[in-house]
Amino acid sequence: MNWSIAKKNFSRQGLRASLNVLVTALSIIALIFMLSLLNGFQAQATRNVINTDIGGGHYRAPGFDILSPSKWEDYTVKVPDTLLRLHNKDKAEVLVVQGQLYPNRRLYPVQIRGISMEQSLLQLPLDNLKTFSANFDDLIPVVVGAKMAKKAHLHKGDTLTLKWRDRSGAVDAKDIIIIDVGDILNPRVDEGVVWLRLDHLRLMTDRKNEVSWVAVKHYIGLISEFEFQPVEFLMSDLLALWRQDRMNSKILWAILMTLVCISVFNTQMLNIFKRQKEIGTLMALGMDSQRIVRIFTLEGCLAAIWALVVALLLGLPFFIWFQGVGFDVSHLSESTLPIRETIYPDYQPMEIIYSLIIVFILIVASSWFPVKKITRLDPTMALRGRAIK
Amino acid sequence: MHDKLITLKEITKVFRVGEENFTALNGINLQIESGAFMSFVGPSGSGKTTLLNLIGGLDVPTTGDIFFKHTKLSSMNRIQMAKYRRENIGFIFQTYNLLPVYSVYENVLFPLLLNGSKEKDARERVMNIVSKVGLSDQIKKKPSQLSGGQCQRVAIARALVKDPLLILADEPTANLDSKNSLQILELMSDLNEQYKAAVVFSTHDEKVTRYVRREVGLEDGEIISDKQ
Repeated sequence: MNWSIAKKNFSRQGLRASLNVLVTALSIIALIFMLSLLNGFQAQATRNVINTDIGGGHYRAPGFDILSPSKWEDYTVKVPDTLLRLHNKDKAEVLVVQGQLYPNRRLYPVQIRGISMEQSLLQLPLDNLKTFSANFDDLIPVVVGAKMAKKAHLHKGDTLTLKWRDRSGAVDAKDIIIIDVGDILNPRVDEGVVWLRLDHLRLMTDRKNEVSWVAVKHYIGLISEFEFQPVEFLMSDLLALWRQDRMNSKILWAILMTLVCISVFNTQMLNIFKRQKEIGTLMALGMDSQRIVRIFTLEGCLAAIWALVVALLLGLPFFIWFQGVGFDVSHLSESTLPIRETIYPDYQPMEIIYSLIIVFILIVASSWFPVKKITRLDPTMALRGRAIK
Repeated sequence: MHDKLITLKEITKVFRVGEENFTALNGINLQIESGAFMSFVGPSGSGKTTLLNLIGGLDVPTTGDIFFKHTKLSSMNRIQMAKYRRENIGFIFQTYNLLPVYSVYENVLFPLLLNGSKEKDARERVMNIVSKVGLSDQIKKKPSQLSGGQCQRVAIARALVKDPLLILADEPTANLDSKNSLQILELMSDLNEQYKAAVVFSTHDEKVTRYVRREVGLEDGEIISDKQ
């Protein structure tokens, strides 16, 4: 009987109930959207870093530290057979040396990266390096990223001087030609990086068969000449940023949740406030307090269920549509985050379920609390509409 | 000889108003017999509504005891008190207090459902009582679609439908015009004869006093007269 009374009360409240349901449903949609967009952003940025730099981890020359450029040349090793035997789609050999570029007579310290042209593990816009047919003795073909080009005022076809140290420590210099300005999604391999063919860089530095690291698709076990650095290590700064971001998003989530809660609580309080006399009448008719609380809480449950249904009906088409169009973040091209494309939300079912459960509990609690308060008072107060003020 | 339905012994009710105490009822001793048709009369603030609320178990006295037959109301807990109201008392309020989202039929049916009846068993009784208060053609309407007089008839039907021993009517004619007031009083008088439920009004409407068989006068929380 409680259920049928609650159903009747709820269904006949009309606009008030509908608005309550709609506000809650929109809040749920906003909550899911925000969380999923953040997930999508982080997932895409992580994917971009993996696809352009890290792969499944690096077998690095022991002692090599990307944060100590003055020592890069000291830590290069020959690629062992174990890694040489890997298929080109499972590895990317990389040699890194320090250099200086002289665009417009300015000195511009750069990281010179030579990468095997046969590799297909990392997705970098370096195809032109393969096909460029100028004489290497005259000009060294290089590719720079769009960010680097913008910062150093470089353009496709520009020639300029590049200086580096060879194996014996002697400083060499030669003119390079920018054969392409690539659209590199990951600013870590764009800004301050000059991309060369690995064979060219090896020739320039007299480091036959040597690399700074080999990016691999999967860990293939210990290799004595190398130390393996897993994805988590190589991305530790980014992951720390994501963790911080997650924490911030949790705060944002809590704020949004609080707003949802206040909105629902406010609506329910107003609803209950307006129905004090009705509650008093129910008490006068002999309905016991517990039953009244149960009925009003069931009404809250119904509001919550309808809010979830409406959120599903409105949200699902919206989420499907948004999954197709995404969210353009090209304005982030100036940032140092490894993303410069369209973000697509990443819906995490468990996260959504937890959020929905919490919203549901909040709605039910905000229905239960004020009625509980009223029914603890004398029925005369409720009948006079003075039980809650 | 009628049985004693309600007995009030040395009833006092004190309300806290701000920093001060307000004595609404002071040393009330009274008996109400079953089948009575009586009224509490007096000016505003004399304690009429408070007395009805205490008898109806909506409020508790500060001191003194109220007995329903031989059961002391103050010995009941909240659940027992709700049961007491549900089974024995019918309320009629000045502002009708109908459930706004329910139709006339559903409002009258509601007390029976609360008492555990099934709708199909209660339907005939509801239709019968609705017809007695002259609202058979309004059965599907909501309270908002009815006049004040019609709403009060619904409230009377709702109070009577469960066949209570006592009906407490708090200023039932206060919001009605003369014509409707008289119709309501005629109706309640007839129903009192027919159903034998005791009816207690609180009122300062002189029209009511013409209908009742007993009139208890109240002033400043004390009984000043008791006319049969």
